[in-house]
Amino acid sequence: MTEKYEVKLSRRESLKWLGALSASSLIPAGVAFAVETELTKGIGHWPTLKLSPITAKGYGKDPNLIIPPKSPWPKTLTQSQLNLVATLSDILVPREGEVPSGSEVGVPDVVDEWVSAPYSRQQRDRTTILSTLLWIGDEAKLRFGKTFNELSSAEQLMIIDDIAYDKNVKNEEFAQIIPAFSRFRSLVLAAFFSSPAGMKDIGYIGNVPIMGDYPGPTKEAMVHLEQVVKKLGLTL
Amino acid sequence: MNENKYPVIVVGSGAGGAMAAYVLTKAGHKVLMLEAGRDYDPKTETPMFKTNGEAPLMGSGNVDKDFGFYDATVDGGWSVPGEPYTTGEDSEFLWWRARMLGGRTNHWGRYSLRFSEHDFKGKSRDGLGADWPFEYHELAPWYDKTESLVGVCGTNTGLDDMPDSSEGVLQPPPKPRVPELLVAAAAKKLGIPTAPMHRAVLTRAKDDRQACFYATPCGHGCSIGAAFQTTTSLIPMAKATGNLKVVTDAMVKNVTVDDQGKVTGVTYIDKNSHEEVSLQAKVVILAASACESARIMMNSKSKHHPKGLANSSGQLGRNIMDSTGTGLGAFIPSLAGRPKYNEDGHTANHLFIPWWGHKAHANNELDFPRGYHFEISSGFKQPGSGVSSGLQGYGSSLKQQVKDKYGAFVYLSLRGEMLPNEHCYMEIDEDVKDKWGIPVAKFHWKWSKHELNQVEHGLKTAKEILETMGATINHPLPSAEKAILKGGQIIHEVGSTRMGASPKDSVTNQWGQTWDCDNLFVMDAGVFASNPHKNCTLTIMTLAMRNASWLSEQMKKGAL
Ligand SMILES: Cc1cc2nc3c(=O)[nH]c(=O)nc-3n(C[C@H](O)[C@H](O)[C@H](O)COP(=O)(O)OP(=O)(O)OC[C@H]3O[C@@H](n4cnc5c(N)ncnc54)[C@H](O)[C@@H]3O)c2cc1C
Ligand code: SF4
Repeated sequence: MTEKYEVKLSRRESLKWLGALSASSLIPAGVAFAVETELTKGIGHWPTLKLSPITAKGYGKDPNLIIPPKSPWPKTLTQSQLNLVATLSDILVPREGEVPSGSEVGVPDVVDEWVSAPYSRQQRDRTTILSTLLWIGDEAKLRFGKTFNELSSAEQLMIIDDIAYDKNVKNEEFAQIIPAFSRFRSLVLAAFFSSPAGMKDIGYIGNVPIMGDYPGPTKEAMVHLEQVVKKLGLTL
Repeated sequence: MNENKYPVIVVGSGAGGAMAAYVLTKAGHKVLMLEAGRDYDPKTETPMFKTNGEAPLMGSGNVDKDFGFYDATVDGGWSVPGEPYTTGEDSEFLWWRARMLGGRTNHWGRYSLRFSEHDFKGKSRDGLGADWPFEYHELAPWYDKTESLVGVCGTNTGLDDMPDSSEGVLQPPPKPRVPELLVAAAAKKLGIPTAPMHRAVLTRAKDDRQACFYATPCGHGCSIGAAFQTTTSLIPMAKATGNLKVVTDAMVKNVTVDDQGKVTGVTYIDKNSHEEVSLQAKVVILAASACESARIMMNSKSKHHPKGLANSSGQLGRNIMDSTGTGLGAFIPSLAGRPKYNEDGHTANHLFIPWWGHKAHANNELDFPRGYHFEISSGFKQPGSGVSSGLQGYGSSLKQQVKDKYGAFVYLSLRGEMLPNEHCYMEIDEDVKDKWGIPVAKFHWKWSKHELNQVEHGLKTAKEILETMGATINHPLPSAEKAILKGGQIIHEVGSTRMGASPKDSVTNQWGQTWDCDNLFVMDAGVFASNPHKNCTLTIMTLAMRNASWLSEQMKKGAL
């Protein structure tokens, strides 16, 4: 599991990672950031964030599409947040043989770019995702007296097992973290599968020029379709 | 050419304006084209083969780039900075604009379906809306010429909703993909046809344009010219005649008239110098898009035209129609984990569902008067910022859930005909000006039961098709009021300067010539008398070709 996440410069030759300047702090440099965690016995805890809004500019209505802006706005995650995102990315998307893990393809950079973006959808996600990270940190402290990254794999999974399944949402303690973690999980998966290794892993084989006519489905794909059509009582 | 008096000024370089300029310059007329947006070159500016992962936010959309980072729209989308529009109380309307040479043709879907005999005479049939002032057979040869010039792939189906093109006009369509074939099989069981979509995409090389190589989404633009956009076809071809001059960053404010109310030229704002420039012309053609052309005319009031230019009928800005839009999608279990292959194709529908209800309409079996079609969205798409929902857990099993669902979603989008109604119109908002000092458009909108009933029927039908494909749809269908997309959202706005047989109830005659000013023409979708469910742009171009040809004859005869 990742100890210290290093920003993947290769992913989009990101500019200097700005958050690194405020190394290992939960509070991003230059951002007013207040956290209150309410601890109510029996019901659990949930951080209430007061985030100062992101004021950076977007890339505008006429960005260069051939050379996309490398670092369109300042990133805002701290080093320890990035480390936590890296650990979680690798739990969600572990290395499988030749297929790299989430952090190996730079998922934390994408998450950082996403939560730091000045657009409304990303700003909503920022609250959700920062709350998720804080909750997981708090939970690790409460259960084991350590940071999440200091826990053993088994301990980490005890927490994740509680929050990674919708069925646990009946447990009030996890009612807020489960949907929040789910949003985080979707973002991590999107970041992974849209990387070159992820596209390959999911089986996307387009985006290559074809000379001549479009060949259409392969024989194998047609055989499968014929079976499906038959099973459904249809005809081609 | 005399810098101060042009034979013809064309306002706008999109589908209508570029076609008009092409026809006229080919016929030997000198044309000046004024375009509000910046110059744009698809050959050098199109992000071909770029992946979502290389773009900020995995290529997803936002207020800057509504349809995603790589979408070709420049300085536009649902909002244009400094150029607002307003809406009336209780009205919602969305207006998509692109401020660039070529306008919205740089990123449109290229769906190119002919209107039929049936479509031009709706009022004669059911008493609603308006008839067009000509018959299908009068336009048919111009459809052939336009399809040949633009390059449209598809087939003749013989279906009553899809008039055939002449032999040899259409280019061959690409083979259908697996999910489309499954939709076709399910639709067939329900007695609903499917057909190859007609698209303005080359599957055979033509002029300087290459054939599609079946990769790179057309909404990003097409640097090889396979997907039709005026910037790789009509505009360079018109320029090659030596008769076309294009001025970009020229925001036309109004059309000028003389003491007799006859059109003398236009005034535009040079966006670089912010100066007002007045030019004289013998003939002015407005093709700034339906609502922009109407806005220019409304902003051109004068003694002779107190209600707006060429508005003696009072119909200017009235009769605005969009297509209706809604849709339903579902996970198709039997498609999960199916064998992978390259499903990019020409990156849009290879098959679609044309309207099949002509007979049901004739027999009065439907509670809505006009038809619709379904576009099919599916396939092994390039992964981006969205992943399937309902995921559980983590690790390998989580990844497997995503992989299983990949390519197993099918979404059916309804696109239907709307009827004009008195609540859908535009006017000038006298209180708001854009950053060039030009008063802005104000839109009013309300769907009628015709559209709502149609949408309800469409949702039920979509559900039936998806269930026949094996989908389980547990949730109740939304009400039509909730499900119908907003006015303008399908980006097929038409009708603001409609044509007709009489100056009493229309703004132009069948040639797009305004009844009130014989040297003012409209050659965009403003002139549409109705808005059949078939996407509008092929007909914009066909009308522009026909009407610019007529105009050329008039000028050669000395009639204008
Ligand atoms: C994402 C998308 C998908 C679409 N898909 C389809 C489809 O599949 N099939 C289909 O038929 N249609 C489709 N459309 C609609 C299609 O793009 C339009 O119908 C078509 O482009 C309209 O042509 P036009 O010439 O009237 O206007 P436009 O193409 O919009 O061109 C108008 C031009 O005039 C310029 N202009 C505006 N105001 C002024 C002014 N005051 N002075 C000078 N210049 C001005 C604009 O900047 C613009 O360049 C789609 C549109 C979008 C956005
Ligand atoms: S899919 Fe074909 S037509 Fe569309 S942009 Fe790519 S090459 Fe051009």
